[in-house]
Parts: sequence; structure tokens; C-alpha cells
Amino acid sequence: MSSSGPHKVKDIFVEGAIDPAFIGMSIAKHASRTDIGAHEIFLGQVRADTVDGTAVVAIEFTAYREMALEAMTRIREEAFEKWPSITCLHVHHGLGVIPTGALCFMVFASAPHRKAAREAVAWIVDRIKADLPIFGREILSDSTHLWKTNL
Amino acid sequence: MRILLFGSIAEKAGASVLEVEAPSVDSLRQRLIARIPGLDRMRYAIAVDRRVITEDRPLAGSEEIAVLPPFAGG
Repeated sequence: MSSSGPHKVKDIFVEGAIDPAFIGMSIAKHASRTDIGAHEIFLGQVRADTVDGTAVVAIEFTAYREMALEAMTRIREEAFEKWPSITCLHVHHGLGVIPTGALCFMVFASAPHRKAAREAVAWIVDRIKADLPIFGREILSDSTHLWKTNL
Repeated sequence: MRILLFGSIAEKAGASVLEVEAPSVDSLRQRLIARIPGLDRMRYAIAVDRRVITEDRPLAGSEEIAVLPPFAGG
């Protein structure tokens, strides 16, 4: 996913966890973009929360894909308006069962200078958590489950 | 009309799609509460054509309607 024009809907969803090697490759692909001076990356990792003494072992993510991708397109367009110097923006979210310790979410922005990349990533992460219809079923070590919520 | 259900609400309903006829969002809420056990005590949003709707509005029946539990992405 490289920088996009307006109104183009991109799929952000991947099946399962995000491979750290994929993130390394994503960074490497920007070597030819010598106008970039700063990369900012946020990574979400599935945390082993404890609920009444029972540990979370995985989260199963599902999404209302069409609505999520439309919301993401609006967030992307707003981000490029707010920080026009952003060179590119890559967003991925895992779906399906993702075990604790694995990566479920990546927001990666690049810009000529660090301020725009940093601000954009912080803002985009918050907007995605608030606006994208993604649901998380926390699977506990005793095989029961709870529904995760961001609020 | 076809109502899409997600996450904990699909679990409560035992289905990911329900057929419910309703002339407005408010009447849809009442019919969903009658159909889905415990929905009246859950936090949820209704999306019409992939946008969350907070106020009542008429429904023609051709809209894409979804019932969404709290979001948990990221």
C-alpha cells in the first residue's frame, strides 16, 4: 500500500497476525523514496490481560469489512489533508484468532520530517480505534471468552 | 429487511443475519430488543448504509442495516 489518491478504498485486513518480517520488508521498500526523512510506526500487540485470575490467550477479531474500509478511507483522506507532507501511509489489521504476543495492528506513516509522521500516526491510531467496526472476542485459558471493548 | 449482526450481538442472537421489518430506526430498535435476548442491556449502535445513526429516521427497506456492539480494533 503506497500513498493513495482520494476515494480509493484499500483493504487493510489481513488474515491472522502481522508478521514482523513483513514490517521489516515494508520499511525496506521505502529505501528508493529518498524524499522521506522519517518513518513512524505504531504496532498493536495482543496483551495477556488477566480477568478474575484467568489469562487471555488470544483475541479473535472480526469486522464489518465494508463499513470499516469506508471509514478508513475517510480517515486516510482527512489525515492527508491535515498533514499534507505525509509521503505514504500503510494500515493493516489482523482478523481471526491472534495469540497473545503477536501483532494485530500496524499504522506506518512516512514523511520528509518527523513531526508530521508522528502526529499523523497518533491521530490515525485513535481514529481507527474509535471509528472502525472491528470486534474482539478475548479467548481465556479456561476456554471461556469475553468481548473486548475500546471504551 | 435483512439486518446484519456482529460480535457479541450476533452471539446473543445466535445468527449473523436477521429478517426484521421496521418502518424506522426507532421501531427497528424495539423489534430487535424483542428478538435478541439481553439486547436492551447491551451497548450497541445501528448503522444505516455503513454510517452510525444516532437519531430516528424512516427506513425504506432497501438500506444496508447493521447492529454493532462496541468497537475493539487496534
